[in-house]
Amino acid sequence: MSAIVIAVVVLTVLALVFGILLGFAAEKFKVEGNPLTDQVEALLPQTQCGQCGYPGCRPYAEAIAGGDKINKCPPGGTATMEKLADLMGVDPEPLNATEEVQVKKVAYIREDECIGCTKCIQACPVDAILGSGKLMHTVITDYCTGCDLCVAPCPVDCIDMLPVEQTTKTWDWQLNAIPVKQLQEDKPC
Amino acid sequence: MLTLLEQIDKGTLWRSHGGVHPPELKNLSNQTKIGQLPLANQYILPLPQVGDSALLAVKTGERVLKGQTLTSGTSFAYSPVHAPTSGVVTAIKPMPSNHASGIHILSCIIDADGLDEAVVFETAKVGALSNEEILTKIQHAGIAGLGGAAFPTHIKLRPASDIELVIINGIECEPYITSDDRLMREHSDEILAGIEIIQRLLSPKRIIIAIEDNKPEAIEAMQHALNRSHLATGSTRITAVPTKYPSGGEKQLIQILTGQEVPSGAIPAQLGMLVQNVGTAYAINDAVVNGRALTHRVVTVTGLNSQTPGNYWMPIGTPIQHILDALGFAGNLSSDKIIIGGPMMGHSLPNTQAPVLKGTNCILLPSQQEIADDDAEKPCIRCGECAVACPALLLPQQLFWHSKAEEYDKAASFNLHDCIECGCCSFVCPSDIPLVEYYRIAKSAIRTQNEEKKQADFAKQRFEARLQRLEEEKLAREAKAKEAAERRKGTMSGGDRDAVAEAMARIKAKKAAEQQNSAADTATAAPELDKKAQIAAAIARAKAKKEGAPTDDSSATAVPADDKKAQVAAAIARAKAKKAGANTAAETPEPQATDKKAQIAAAVARAKAKKASAKHTGTVDIDSTVPSTDKQNEVAAIDDIANDAIPSDIVTANTANTANTEISDKQAKIAAAIARAKAKKAAAKSATIDNQQPSMASDETLNPVDTNLNAKSLSDSAQESQQDTVQKKARIAATIAKAKAKKAQAKLQEKE
Repeated sequence: MSAIVIAVVVLTVLALVFGILLGFAAEKFKVEGNPLTDQVEALLPQTQCGQCGYPGCRPYAEAIAGGDKINKCPPGGTATMEKLADLMGVDPEPLNATEEVQVKKVAYIREDECIGCTKCIQACPVDAILGSGKLMHTVITDYCTGCDLCVAPCPVDCIDMLPVEQTTKTWDWQLNAIPVKQLQEDKPC
Repeated sequence: MLTLLEQIDKGTLWRSHGGVHPPELKNLSNQTKIGQLPLANQYILPLPQVGDSALLAVKTGERVLKGQTLTSGTSFAYSPVHAPTSGVVTAIKPMPSNHASGIHILSCIIDADGLDEAVVFETAKVGALSNEEILTKIQHAGIAGLGGAAFPTHIKLRPASDIELVIINGIECEPYITSDDRLMREHSDEILAGIEIIQRLLSPKRIIIAIEDNKPEAIEAMQHALNRSHLATGSTRITAVPTKYPSGGEKQLIQILTGQEVPSGAIPAQLGMLVQNVGTAYAINDAVVNGRALTHRVVTVTGLNSQTPGNYWMPIGTPIQHILDALGFAGNLSSDKIIIGGPMMGHSLPNTQAPVLKGTNCILLPSQQEIADDDAEKPCIRCGECAVACPALLLPQQLFWHSKAEEYDKAASFNLHDCIECGCCSFVCPSDIPLVEYYRIAKSAIRTQNEEKKQADFAKQRFEARLQRLEEEKLAREAKAKEAAERRKGTMSGGDRDAVAEAMARIKAKKAAEQQNSAADTATAAPELDKKAQIAAAIARAKAKKEGAPTDDSSATAVPADDKKAQVAAAIARAKAKKAGANTAAETPEPQATDKKAQIAAAVARAKAKKASAKHTGTVDIDSTVPSTDKQNEVAAIDDIANDAIPSDIVTANTANTANTEISDKQAKIAAAIARAKAKKAAAKSATIDNQQPSMASDETLNPVDTNLNAKSLSDSAQESQQDTVQKKARIAATIAKAKAKKAQAKLQEKE
């Protein structure tokens, strides 16, 4: 009989102790927001283009964390989609964008035609356009994410989206660039 | 236990991992002395070759001399580009690069004039120069590592930490290449002089000149030169290193000579070591002692397709095509490859217009028998030969699998970035897998990914900064609007509201007086009168408000507006007076018509007030007013009076000068036309009382007080008349006129 009492008491005490511990831990180590959102956002290309239908990458990351589709990010391309699929544990889906969109482009302003209306400056989500009222604007191409948002507001259509030019630094090696793979044995010269 | 330096002095060598022994084929090109190349017609100098952020110092069409700087820059890493010969800069445009991609890069094109005139070289004695001066000379000479990597030498010679051991790299382990070999054989004294300069700059404890044992002539020449040099005995030694590829790699050479391993991601300077190529030592001497910029280097031209293989002094910027033409190319440009660098690490050249660069040590022209087929890749059999051969102790197989599967993060976790791309693994692979190619692809993909990640982070940062800025701007705008509203409220309670209240009080008093007056009239007229009085009061209120506003803002700027308002008010009063006068004078019983006239008069007064507020009529176009006048004035018989009335209107309009917007102009015209029509009608009605009124009107414009009096007297006379309605209207008009006149007077007084 006493054994049962002891068991009950001990278990009760244990339950209380662990309850308090858990309650304390829940308060002390509380996680603000959904940590998944940050992980998703880290994978998104941060072009802030809004092609996913959300106003920026963060809102789309929140939407994905909340169960939205993962194939709505054309700038990220298939690679981003696959990473998102991995992270979210869902099946990869074909990207709802054409191949053409997936070429990295940046905006260029035909400066002769620019009338200095500042509309594109207001549209740029990353402040990559330089200029002032009635003065020519230009795109800081290093900062441009190629989001396309400046093209539509331009009243004189002087903004082109041009593919980023490849330099020797960004060039991708191709297979068989070194043709000499196997030398033959020494020959008398 | 011996210390490291003692072991070095003993000539101890350590074993480095891996490596291969490819056929060397060096005697193809090392049999002849370093030759000279005839001048090319054109030289192509990519800008900037080494280091970034340089400015062009020459313009198209400018004549440059050999050794003249083509770029200028101030940054620490800046390394200038020099003209290799005298000639004219014909263009600065993108040209094919000496790169595996052949991408066009911005280059300065110099058309040689064949004179090969040089700038005056500043010779110097090393002893007379400070270390800083030597380093500046090295930087200005544009010296970069001539072993192939072309890293700016002045940065390397300014290390953050102490250098204990300097290794002069004369290994030249790649097959075929003999440029350092020939240089050491023929210019050992100059190399040693360069080493002396390095010794002075860094004061290391030991200097090792490492030469592979397959170059006995070079070792001998260097040993003799060392004996002749001023370097302290025991501080410098020449070490023959067993021939093995890739002993010449920086990290591999350090391992062989000291047994120490350079950690992943570190540089030898962190171990207190520094490796310089023998060619660089030669160039340092040339720059410091002779003052010559780095415009030439020794390049090996070899391979079975080369008709005159050997080593040549080549101006940097020489197009490869010129070399092929001058030295003879036995192969076929379309089918035979041209390789820049050695067979193990070099790359094929897609365009023969590309120039020789500072890092170009060999132009290999292999024949078809010398190179294997391209498309011989067979499946990996997991033999592990590559792991044995790898000098960097990596696992080439794993790297290959992950690179091929494009699992780049996994490849990176196997330390892909430590791969020196020596090609040993490809060389030993029995399946002929181009492993290094896979690694290069993976490396560039990882680099691109990192770059994209960095850009994404930066874009996010900018996006967030923008959001914050917009938010701040919004808050600032709201705060400003709030502040302005408060200020407005404050002023309202002060001046504006008082003025309005005052005007209201005045009007009420007037209304009361009016009602008393009209009490004498027929009782039936009372309600109508009341209404009219209300209208008049409203008008007066509007006026008061309008005039009150400028008073608040006050000061001298308000004066012209006040003046103008006064004039307008006077004009309105005059018009009213005219009307009243006309009505009284013309005793013709036309009550309805007169009623209408009175209403018109009130409307006109309102319009005029509006016009005055809307602003500033300029000169009134009389012609344009004439048609409307005619239309309204079909019955007008006496043109004289009408004409008389016009000038006064014009005067009014003119006095109310200042800027004219189109709207106010139009309003002014309409008002003037109506006023004129009224005047004409009045004249028509009272043929007997002719010129009196116009003259009076003009008097009124000058003196508002008179207007007041006249209006009073006229309204008095109007009261006397028997026609109730007419009287009422006239009275109302007169009251309005009075109010206007009073206001105008007040304004005038205020102004004074």
